[in-house]
Amino acid sequence: MIRPLLSLGLLACAAMVLALGLGSVTVPLPDLWQVVQGEGSALNRTLLMDLRLPRTLAAFATGGLLAVAGALMQVLLRNPLADPYVLGLSGGAAVGALLAMLAGMGTLLISGSAFAGALLATLLVFGLAHGTGSWTPSRLLLTGVVVAAGWGAVITLMLAITPSYKLPGMLYWLMGDVSYARTPWPALIVLVFSIVLIMPLARNLNVLARGPMQAAALGVSVRPLEWTIYLLASLLTATAVTTAGSIGFVGLIVPHMLRLVLGNDQRIILPASALAGGTLLVLADTLARTAIAPEQLPVGVITALLGVPTFLFLLHRSR
Amino acid sequence: MRVHRRNSRIALGFLILIVVQPLFAAGIPRCAVDDAGQELCMSAPAQRIVTLSPGATELTFAAGAGDKVVAAVNYSDYPPEALKLPLVGSHTRVDMEALLALKPDLVVTWVTGNPPAQIELLGELGIPMFAIEPRTFEGVSSVIERLATLAGTEQAGLAEAERFRSGIAALSEQYRNAEPIPVFYQVWQQPLMTINSDHLIGKVLQLCGGVNVFGDMPRLVPRISAEVVLQADPHAILTGSADGGADDQLDGWKHYSGLTAVKKNNLFFVPASPISRPTPRLLEATRIICDYLDSARER
Repeated sequence: MIRPLLSLGLLACAAMVLALGLGSVTVPLPDLWQVVQGEGSALNRTLLMDLRLPRTLAAFATGGLLAVAGALMQVLLRNPLADPYVLGLSGGAAVGALLAMLAGMGTLLISGSAFAGALLATLLVFGLAHGTGSWTPSRLLLTGVVVAAGWGAVITLMLAITPSYKLPGMLYWLMGDVSYARTPWPALIVLVFSIVLIMPLARNLNVLARGPMQAAALGVSVRPLEWTIYLLASLLTATAVTTAGSIGFVGLIVPHMLRLVLGNDQRIILPASALAGGTLLVLADTLARTAIAPEQLPVGVITALLGVPTFLFLLHRSR
Repeated sequence: MRVHRRNSRIALGFLILIVVQPLFAAGIPRCAVDDAGQELCMSAPAQRIVTLSPGATELTFAAGAGDKVVAAVNYSDYPPEALKLPLVGSHTRVDMEALLALKPDLVVTWVTGNPPAQIELLGELGIPMFAIEPRTFEGVSSVIERLATLAGTEQAGLAEAERFRSGIAALSEQYRNAEPIPVFYQVWQQPLMTINSDHLIGKVLQLCGGVNVFGDMPRLVPRISAEVVLQADPHAILTGSADGGADDQLDGWKHYSGLTAVKKNNLFFVPASPISRPTPRLLEATRIICDYLDSARER
């Protein structure tokens, strides 16, 4: 069980070193080492410590958050098409962020507003789906999808009425951009905290995946566990979207890629998702920064372009 | 004898002052207030300037500091020397690493056009920034003068600012009593967008004696429908095109044969960059528009 996690960990480290070295200005490995030791030219120090390190850590944290949230959603809803945004969370965060941009607020308030929007979306779906009588994942899914469509309509309205000069900023936020992340620490802390919280429950999640009746029969308290997963996944997604906007694809595909290779044991899949999701986003962000430099691409485009062939290859190989 | 010595001492004093003054000039802090209200003081004239919008590039060159510009952003196509500049991304997404690697001592930014998150980051990294966004003719002259002060190119910059100022004043005087003519300026075809009187283009129309039929709209760049244009029935319709030549942007109006502008064939094309950028080329664009409106009045 440790071996795959170790390899993924090494891969993650290699990806981060690559990300720190590459960019509009290439920093070769010896210079990188110099900066780590505290020396190195002022330009390299600024590039690495003020620009690339926070951005790389934020990319890793965001990718990890999204992948774990996706894995949890897929277990909760027992639906392989579930991703972190299926319940309308990114829509609520987007409405919060766009409202803040419309009002001309600074980046800190925009992040705060996005987080508040995500929380509101979570509570809304929680409240609406928490009806009397039997609660099923499909009820939650339906409620979430409809609420997500509602948020989508509000976003479209806001894009239609906003003054033209604010549009590029809003569109870039909606496409997802790791460069918005001013500090990676909230995201990293939430990621580590969530993994620590979820690992003891991972065995119960394996049982839950067989179905609620079987899980209850085997002694798992189904309802509290489901709500815990829902709230945790919402926290992870809200943090990810607040850090870097709505980056798609990572949450949906990374858990599936890992399942094809490592099987469906949540005790491995959850930490592996964190590592693999982080690695994928770090590599995608590096490519987004360098592919057509000095032009900058949105990272969500690259995650899809990287992830789709990889996933299809793994799917083909597993037959 | 004593007066003679005192005079020669005074003369010597003046001589020393004249010789030493240029050395001092370099050390006097150069301060200017930008269009966002922030004051920037530089201890020496700027030597490495990066401009973060095509308009800023033009204005910096107009201020005489063109040879001090080390990088610009996409679409910085005027003057022709600017085409050779290395690029640091676009005005909506700047490549921060490339910008830092150039070690600029002054970055000219666009108040509303550059992304606030990236501007905040530049501020935190301690890069001197000067935000511009001229909204009036006087604003254009003023920004050229302020940029010239910061770059130490006052001679060329002040001359250019004065040329623009007097050119606009002459046009203004020429068209002071021109007969008002209702006009519509089309910024974009789909969605249909125009400008109100607070916009610089609106002020150009006003100077030439045009009455912008949407001048009173609350938003700077309103999105409107064809219906309100038909209702307002302008006598002339103007739009910007790549080099001022006719293209298909106004073809949509030709269906409406009831429109006065269509009946009299008053559909005019203005060179796009000079009219949309707040730079000295606005003077040429204003002349072109005033000529068009004159011909429209005769028809």
